[in-house]
Amino acid sequence: MKCYNCGCQLSEKEFCTGCGADVALYKKIMYASNFFYNEGLEKASVRDLSGAVASLRQSLKFNKNNVEARNLLGLVYFEMGEVVKGLGEWVISKNLRSEKNIADDYINMIQENPSRLETINQTIKKYNLALGYCQQDGLDLAVIQLKKVLSLNPNYIRAHQLLALLYMKAEEWEKAKRELDKCIRIDTGNTTTRRYLKEVEAMLDVAENARGGMRKKALPDDVVKYQSGNETIIQPVGNRDNRSVSTVLNIGIGIVIGIAAACFLILPSRLSSADSAAQAELRAVSEQLDKKTSTIEEMEQQAKLLTDENEKLKQELNDYVGNDGALEVVDGLLQTVSVYMENPEDTEQIAQSFEKIDMEAAGQVESERFQNVYQALLAQVGPSIASSYYEAGLDAYQKEMYEEAITNLTKAAQYDQENGDILYNLANAYRQNGDTDEAIEAYTSVVTKFEGTERARRAQKYLEELNEG
Amino acid sequence: MINFEEELKKFHPSLEVEDAEDAIYNQDLTDVADMLVGMMKEAEKEDQRRLE
Repeated sequence: MKCYNCGCQLSEKEFCTGCGADVALYKKIMYASNFFYNEGLEKASVRDLSGAVASLRQSLKFNKNNVEARNLLGLVYFEMGEVVKGLGEWVISKNLRSEKNIADDYINMIQENPSRLETINQTIKKYNLALGYCQQDGLDLAVIQLKKVLSLNPNYIRAHQLLALLYMKAEEWEKAKRELDKCIRIDTGNTTTRRYLKEVEAMLDVAENARGGMRKKALPDDVVKYQSGNETIIQPVGNRDNRSVSTVLNIGIGIVIGIAAACFLILPSRLSSADSAAQAELRAVSEQLDKKTSTIEEMEQQAKLLTDENEKLKQELNDYVGNDGALEVVDGLLQTVSVYMENPEDTEQIAQSFEKIDMEAAGQVESERFQNVYQALLAQVGPSIASSYYEAGLDAYQKEMYEEAITNLTKAAQYDQENGDILYNLANAYRQNGDTDEAIEAYTSVVTKFEGTERARRAQKYLEELNEG
Repeated sequence: MINFEEELKKFHPSLEVEDAEDAIYNQDLTDVADMLVGMMKEAEKEDQRRLE
C-alpha cells in the first residue's frame, strides 16, 4: 500500500513515514476495498455471480485502483453474458496497470477472434430488438429473437430472464421454469431469478394441487381408510395377496414386450437388409438388361443400314444392267458401233442407234476406253442428230408448239453444244413458253459462248428485256 | 403476483460493442479514497488559512 500524498510504501504506522500524512482512514478504506474484493471472490467461486458483482463494485467504490477486483468484475460480467461490460472493466484495468495485468490476456483473447466479437455484438443487437418487440406487444417475435440470442450466447442471464418472463406472461410455467433453472445454474444468487422462480413454482404448485384434488376425489371409492395408532392406513378395496398371479402376469408382460421389441426393432432391420439386397440384385439385373437392350438396338440399326445400302446397290445395279443381264449403256454403244462398222456412211441409222444410249448414264461410266469410243461416235454422229432435232424443234417453234420445240431443241443442244443457233432458238422457245428463268439462263449462255456475234447481241437485248420485266 | 409491464420496465437495452468506448470514457471513477484525499487536502488548506 502506498501513501496517497507522496507515494511512499506505508508501514504499520498510522502515518506516512515519508511525508507524515495521516493515513489511518486511508488504510481503512483500502482494507474495506480488499474486504469486499475477498467477499466478491468467495461469491464468484460458488457461482453467486450477482452477489460477486455487488461486492466487487463495492470494492471498486472504495478503491478504483484495485485492479484484481476490476479484473474479477470483468470476468464475472463476461460469465453472465454481459461481454461489453466485462470488456469495459478490463480496458480500464489495463489503463490503470499497463504491465503484468491479466486483463491484457482477456482483451487479446477477444480481439484475436473478430468473428467471436461480431457474434457477441449480434447477440446484443438481437436482445435489444427482442426488448423492443416486448415493448410493442410483439411477444412471439421477442421469444424467437431471444431463442436465437441464447443459442449464440447461452450464458446471457438477462436474456434467459426476459424469456422466462415472456413464458410467464403466456402462462407457460414449465418453460419459464426451465429458463430460470438455467439462470440459477449460471448465477445462483440472482434475486430477480429467485423472485421469478418463486412465482413460477407457486403457479406450478397450484396447477399440481388442482390435478391432485381431482385424484383425491376418486380416492374414497377405491380405498378403505382407517386409523392405526398414530398412523392413517389407506388400503385399496379388495386388496388381496396375489403375488404369484402378478409374477406370472409380469413374466407374460415381459414376453409380450420381448416379442414386440423383436417385431419393432429386429424384424424391420432384417426386412430392411433383405429388401436392400433384393434391390441391389434387381439393380444389377436391370443394368444387364439395359446393356443388352442397347446392344440389340445398335445391331438392329446396323442391320437396317446394311439393308438400306443393299437396296441402294441393287437399285444402282438395276439401273446399269438390262433385262438380259448386260450393261445397257455398253450394249447400246456396241450396237451403235456395229451399225457404224456395217455402213459408216449411213449416219441416219447410226444416229438412231446412238440415240438409244442414255447420255446421262454414258457420262457416268468411268471406263476410259468406253469414253473414247463414245466421244468418237458423238463427234461423228452428234451434229447430224442435233441437226435433225434442230429442224424438228424449229418447225414446232414456228407452229408455236413451244413445249415440243423446247424438247427437240434441248436434245439438239445436248448433241451439238457449239451451235449458237440451237441455243438461241431454245432460249426463244423458253421465252415464248413463259419459262423466264430458263430463258435467261439460255440467253446468258449465248452471250457468253458466242460473244461478238449477231445472236449474242440479240440475246443480250432479250436478256435486258427479261431482266427489266 | 408479478406484473409483466412493471417487470419489463426493469429490462434495459444492452450496451453494444460500438458504444463501449463512450461508456468507458464517461464512467465516473471517483472512489471513496479520492473523496478522502480531497477532504484532507481541503482541511489542510483550511488549517493553513487559519494559521495565516
